Amino acid sequence: MSNLDVSDIQGFALRGYTFPCARYLLLAISTPEAGRQFVLRVSAHITTGERWDDGKPASTVNIAFTHHGLARLGLPEATLLSFPLEFAQGMKARHEILFDTGRNAPERWDPVWRDAQVQVWLGVHAQSPAALDERCSKLQAIMDETGGAKLLAAQDAAAIVIDGKPTTKEHFGYTDGFGNPDFEGVERKTVPGQGKLAPNGQWVPLATGEFLLGYPDEAGELPLAPVPRLLARNGTFMVYRKLHQNVATFRAYLEEQGKRYGGGKEKLAAKFVGRWRDGTPLELAPGQPDPVLAGDPKRSTDFTYGADRDGARCPLGAHIRRAHPRDAFGFDGKLVNRRRITRRGLPYGTYTPEGQPVRDEDEHGVIFMVLNASIFRQFEFVQQQWIEYGNDARQGSDKDPMLGNHGGQGKSMIQGSTDPQNPPFLCARLPNFVELRGGDYFFIPSMTALRLIAQGAVDPR
Amino acid sequence: MTNINGKAYAMTAITPMKAWKSPILRLFFFILGHVKPLQADLVNLSFIHFARWVLIGRSKFPRLSESQPQEQLRYDYLLFFSNFNGTWNQYIDAFSDVLERGLNLVWRWSEKYPGARPVTPFKRYIAMVQFDTDYYYTAYPRATTNDVKAAHRVNAALEDLARQSASMSAEQFGAAYTRFLVAVQGDLGATGVGPVGT
Amino acid sequence: MANQSGNVYGLTILSPIIDDPRAEVSHDCAIRDYLASLPRDHRSPFAKLGSTHLARMVVMDDVIFVGAPAREEHLQSKYLVFESNFDGDLDTYLRRMAEDIPTEVDAVWRHCIGYPGVRDAAAFAAYMKKCQLETTFYFADVNDKTVGQTLHALRVQAGVAEFIAAQQGKPAAEIQAAFQQLMEKVRREGKG
Repeated sequence: MSNLDVSDIQGFALRGYTFPCARYLLLAISTPEAGRQFVLRVSAHITTGERWDDGKPASTVNIAFTHHGLARLGLPEATLLSFPLEFAQGMKARHEILFDTGRNAPERWDPVWRDAQVQVWLGVHAQSPAALDERCSKLQAIMDETGGAKLLAAQDAAAIVIDGKPTTKEHFGYTDGFGNPDFEGVERKTVPGQGKLAPNGQWVPLATGEFLLGYPDEAGELPLAPVPRLLARNGTFMVYRKLHQNVATFRAYLEEQGKRYGGGKEKLAAKFVGRWRDGTPLELAPGQPDPVLAGDPKRSTDFTYGADRDGARCPLGAHIRRAHPRDAFGFDGKLVNRRRITRRGLPYGTYTPEGQPVRDEDEHGVIFMVLNASIFRQFEFVQQQWIEYGNDARQGSDKDPMLGNHGGQGKSMIQGSTDPQNPPFLCARLPNFVELRGGDYFFIPSMTALRLIAQGAVDPR
Repeated sequence: MTNINGKAYAMTAITPMKAWKSPILRLFFFILGHVKPLQADLVNLSFIHFARWVLIGRSKFPRLSESQPQEQLRYDYLLFFSNFNGTWNQYIDAFSDVLERGLNLVWRWSEKYPGARPVTPFKRYIAMVQFDTDYYYTAYPRATTNDVKAAHRVNAALEDLARQSASMSAEQFGAAYTRFLVAVQGDLGATGVGPVGT
Repeated sequence: MANQSGNVYGLTILSPIIDDPRAEVSHDCAIRDYLASLPRDHRSPFAKLGSTHLARMVVMDDVIFVGAPAREEHLQSKYLVFESNFDGDLDTYLRRMAEDIPTEVDAVWRHCIGYPGVRDAAAFAAYMKKCQLETTFYFADVNDKTVGQTLHALRVQAGVAEFIAAQQGKPAAEIQAAFQQLMEKVRREGKG
């Protein structure tokens, strides 16, 4: 497998920029001609996957389009029809499939997602707020000069700062950002736990086609992709979801249930997710967190569930076990390999430290983005079958305790043993800790495809 | 959507087979039926309630009266019925990923079968040979086969506890109850509604 | 016995449908219309039978042409396909179909060739057996529990989860007392 042509792939598809600030600009295209002018001008600023030999830039820019956006830019009808159905319909139309109902229903989304139709996403990541503002005003200038796009809304996000230092924590206090899938062709070395399991128990990279269009996927074929091939190759699909966090409810639930749980509050928090709040995986350290382990990327995702079939260490319904079952289903992990997703994102809103008063309504949460070659087969499947449902995890209709759309009646069983510090414990009447406030499905084109789109040169076949 | 009732999906498919290939398939099924380990994968996938294959010889379509015209068929036909949990795509993806060889051994004798991998032509073939159900009944629509098996395990553990605890002190019961919790803790998922079967 | 797996019987019936060009509504359409109106839940006629785990009916109007080089061919008749997975033996099941749900059986099968009616249960069973196909391979994930046992187990499972939630953290003596009550309820439920 030769290395990928990283100069053609947008950087955001290949690496998670660990920059402390970000702004996601949500745009609408004005006219097709002016819109294409805008895309042409912006293309010169897009950050590719090339290595930063001169050190990290002050900021990066990446661009993605909804189906509406591509239509507005004048892509031929036949090309538009060749995109996968779920991408064409968009996330709002598919809300029932995703269990985005009740508290997560589109009626309760932010106005930009509920009422408007976002057509372009510009992701700007920066080393500092000043660099962020500077980059964004340059982009705004291009919008103004070409008259090709207008800003519908801007979503800021930033790493949570604790004791003056940016962290990878989110608002519930969990350390995030572990383990994105390894796939072939990328320069980094495989880290155990991030690829797929080979029959001999070693971790090897997944097929490139699980995360980039135009390459063979785990099923030995090219993933469904728009025609012509040049439009699709080196591109990928992105799911953007604004996840509001009910911090007050979460803290109260944890406090109250933590008193009743034999292992205590911190352990209960760990059992929800499968990692202690500092990131130590329960599978490797069931008794207490291990900061050294958590801080070592070569070890922090290196585990399987084979020796924990009963879920006594990491519960069967815990978040990370649901989202990435590893070997939990048997069959050498084959049932899992085509359901992997790359996650990116940053918290948004004001961080309220533990112990200080906080309200659910305060604006805080996570901007969650998923990258995959097939939204239907990867993100939608994980969301529908593994997060909002539990049959594969043998947990019936029970949902992910953390992310589930419980509606106040959810339950999750924490498996344990006869050890009083690790008892079986049933979490009942689970509320919605997380609520969806909007989002959509986007296409992240390659640099070649961007040029084609900007030039209006896409061949309709 | 009549193929779906609660958490169960009824798949019905029919494929033509050259008559000389039928005995080979019958032999394979005979072996499968008598060599239990071969069925292990099917059991471990654990999302089929009931499934069956029925080979109909070309002259064996039921004829109930002289006035009913005789069938004039060149091919034998393989009928497949499955009652499974999950979506159509999920089911076929899982079989393609995990049971490729077994699927091929059953269907390679059917005309134009493309093989179980890669999965896209396989799905196209199934869609082509699938019949939609006119009526589908299940006695337990809110339960998958996993749920059913879990329920039987819980029931058995409960009966065990009831038997043992007939004459226990409170303290003894406390310990027995904890052991009971550990025994059933993986089997308490709620039954109910499943995801939209797209 | 290929039709059987443990205590479960896999019945496959192919009933040729009457072809009458002069009928106002063709017989296969009539079957489809009737089936579309039949309840599929606990009010289903199969619920009345009580021993049926899962069952389906499919009007098979023709075989499928899969494309060259396969040759095109057609069935002379349409067939009603009936697939059922039930507890117990075939004779009992067929007799109960005739005796317990005669209206529904009649509404469907009177459109089929050679159907003798349901008044004579033995004649009906003989007719169905003429339409029966031998199952070549039958798989049943759970083959040793009846429908009744399964529904009871599912109710108990839900009750146990509720019980565990309610008793969590209580002293052993209290749980023990509540457990006696739970078992009484389970026994009563099992008999009902």
